[in-house]
Amino acid sequence: MKRLLTLLLISLATVALAQDLNDAPVTPAFSPVTWDRLVNASDEPENWLTYSGTQNSQRYTRLDQVDISNVTDLELKWSYQIPVIDRAETTPLVVDGIMFITESPSNVVAVDAVTGRQYWRYDYELPEDLRICCGRNNRGVAILGETLYMSTLDAHLVAIDARTGNLRWDTEVADYAKGYSKTAAPIIVKDMVVTGIAGGEFGIRGFIDAYDAATGERRWRTYTVAGPGDPNVSSWADDSWKIGGAPTWITGSYDADLNLVYWGTGNPAPDYNGDVRLGDNLYSDSALALNGDTGEIEWHFQFTPHDEHDWDAIQIPILADIQFQGRQRKVMLWANRNAFFYTIDRATGEFLLGTPFAKQTWASGLDSKGRPIVLPGVSPTYEGVLVSPSIGGGTNWYSPAYSPKTELFYVNSYDGEHKYIKRDEEYEEGQRFTGGGFESVQPIDNYYSAIRAIDPGNGEIKWEFPIQPRSSAGIMATSGGLLFSGSVDGYFYALDANNGRELWHISLGARVHSAPMSFAVDGKQFISVAAGNVVYTFGLKE
Amino acid sequence: MRQTYLFYWKANLLTGILLALGLGLLNQPAVAQEHEEINLYNTAVDVRVGGRYFQRQCSRCHGADAKGTDETGAPDLTGTISRASTDFGIYNIIRKGIQGTAMLPVPADTPDPKVWQLVAYINSLRINPANIDLTGSPDAGQSLFTSKGSCSDCHMIGGTGGRRGPDLSLVGQRLDPDELKIAMTNPDELVDPRWWTMRITQKNGSVVEGLRMEEDTFSLRVIDENADLWSFRKNEIQSYERVETSTMPSYTQTLTEGEIDDLVAYLFSLRKDN
Repeated sequence: MKRLLTLLLISLATVALAQDLNDAPVTPAFSPVTWDRLVNASDEPENWLTYSGTQNSQRYTRLDQVDISNVTDLELKWSYQIPVIDRAETTPLVVDGIMFITESPSNVVAVDAVTGRQYWRYDYELPEDLRICCGRNNRGVAILGETLYMSTLDAHLVAIDARTGNLRWDTEVADYAKGYSKTAAPIIVKDMVVTGIAGGEFGIRGFIDAYDAATGERRWRTYTVAGPGDPNVSSWADDSWKIGGAPTWITGSYDADLNLVYWGTGNPAPDYNGDVRLGDNLYSDSALALNGDTGEIEWHFQFTPHDEHDWDAIQIPILADIQFQGRQRKVMLWANRNAFFYTIDRATGEFLLGTPFAKQTWASGLDSKGRPIVLPGVSPTYEGVLVSPSIGGGTNWYSPAYSPKTELFYVNSYDGEHKYIKRDEEYEEGQRFTGGGFESVQPIDNYYSAIRAIDPGNGEIKWEFPIQPRSSAGIMATSGGLLFSGSVDGYFYALDANNGRELWHISLGARVHSAPMSFAVDGKQFISVAAGNVVYTFGLKE
Repeated sequence: MRQTYLFYWKANLLTGILLALGLGLLNQPAVAQEHEEINLYNTAVDVRVGGRYFQRQCSRCHGADAKGTDETGAPDLTGTISRASTDFGIYNIIRKGIQGTAMLPVPADTPDPKVWQLVAYINSLRINPANIDLTGSPDAGQSLFTSKGSCSDCHMIGGTGGRRGPDLSLVGQRLDPDELKIAMTNPDELVDPRWWTMRITQKNGSVVEGLRMEEDTFSLRVIDENADLWSFRKNEIQSYERVETSTMPSYTQTLTEGEIDDLVAYLFSLRKDN
């Protein structure tokens, strides 16, 4: 009886609360996003203020309303159809109840995060003769104050008023006609917008730039291909550094205590023919730590010297503070396209451990400095040579996640292979410059793919959740003990972050080629993900 | 208001011929035009023929006035065409369609001249700034914009200014000089629904007033005077009303006719090609 009474009281309270909520006046959104808010983004988990959620890029939310016990109660709250039919790779931001979604090819829309209905949209006008490698993509914006910052496919950086969608400024980062383009969300460092460049298949010379957030003027540029004045230019034969590639087409991370910007770099150019660029080709396929004020390279770690398989180090650098061999260390966690997982000291760049996390047949292991011990006969040939991982890699650009609760690193991995072919090719400005290609030798279903949970203290795979046929989605970890991710065949699912047990799934009908994020409005948690051409938002049944 | 810019096209044709001579293209047969960027089918007759073809083939989606419709998502072709910045770009869209949209290509056996006539017609729908002779001074207008006119209190240009009116950075592409003048002298004549005022009374009696960003069956969103953004569900408010007049004052009393002409000249100069 007492229990019944309690239940009745709870029910009445709920009704009263609901009544109050219905009658409660609406309040306006939103307040400016200061630098301080960005540094402390994890203190306001109701918002998702950067591409990866927080500056350490863990893609981990402190929201725990949706948890292992109630995740099966998730239901669709709204969906937003992107009007241009293409492949959505966006991670939206949410600021005080407003969601900012980027669209293909280079547009942004602001919607009410609770209903998905539009406030405003901004359409960027593009030229007709773009030089893009892999689709008309855009992955997201950065925000500072009341301004959004977005990359465009013709290699511009634009600043957009977050309240109206009006253009604040438009800066050309590089000449698109020479093969440069931009697809990734920038990050904010103090009063600057830090951003990368794409074009590794066009013989560009890669860089990382910082722009004054107020004016769009460039503050610094750090080339990711060593040139004259840098002793590492000797890692490029002859003048090959001039067209050396090493693009920076995914978002980096930032450590405010160390004032270091972390960024991955892509393949040297041409991708598959290393004969024309003998040497290690620094700083291609590397993790770079740049001084936040000047852009100077404080340290670098090259994962794949003299890469000939297009194994970009274009992964999100995850920063975590962990116990490593009995000592608390500031580390960077990195599951690389080359199929090795690395734990690196992020203050010094010291290699701490490295171990394969996906099938690989190209190296017998890593030496004490983390340099791969390359096996003979793995370089591409004119006839083709079969090597693992595949062209897509052990993983690729899609976001991994780290949970400080489970102390595990999560990555979508792929045990594939490809036949790598070399070709002789002359560089021609603005034209593709890959020096070869690849061939599949088996149907994709024959390969194994899984979400893998890695212990960054020793590199061991704690558990894995198999995916058929594979995934190109990012992963989000939650304080509710969950992992969210998706697959190429259109499923979106939640796993138990402790053991990989499947808890919930839904078919969204098209490839999930983006990373999930979470936010809350009026105390209710939501989870959003883009699939196909649509952004879906889920919440608990009421 | 709309004029036929025959003179312009003749000049264009001459430039085209000169260019073609330079490139040695005149020796090529007409069908080779697919690879050129210059429309040689540009006379008043071509425009008329293109117009007839447009009405039969294109108006179902783009509308008889070529201003586009919501139903098909077909864009307005009378302003800047966002997907094509050159004649050849328009030609390509007509010839190849736009993948992933309702814009289908013309039948493959449509002769090239017919496609180019269509390009000529579409071009004729847009005003050619070179043919417009304005009395006002753009420089004086620019100065008025931020001083006596106080326009920048409400309008942004190039990222600077207020948020209570439309961004005017490229207004010269959207409105012709007559329309610009009407907007300043009689702002209520044509108010885009985006700039209506919504007055929302909440259930607790408080009132929010703001410009109408979006409204649908179940919800509406406004931006208030402080540039705060509000989102309401219609079933959670007491009532709302629309004020379909402009919040912009008429400038007939505050500015002289000459000053209005200066502002028109300045605003019309705000185009991408400038």
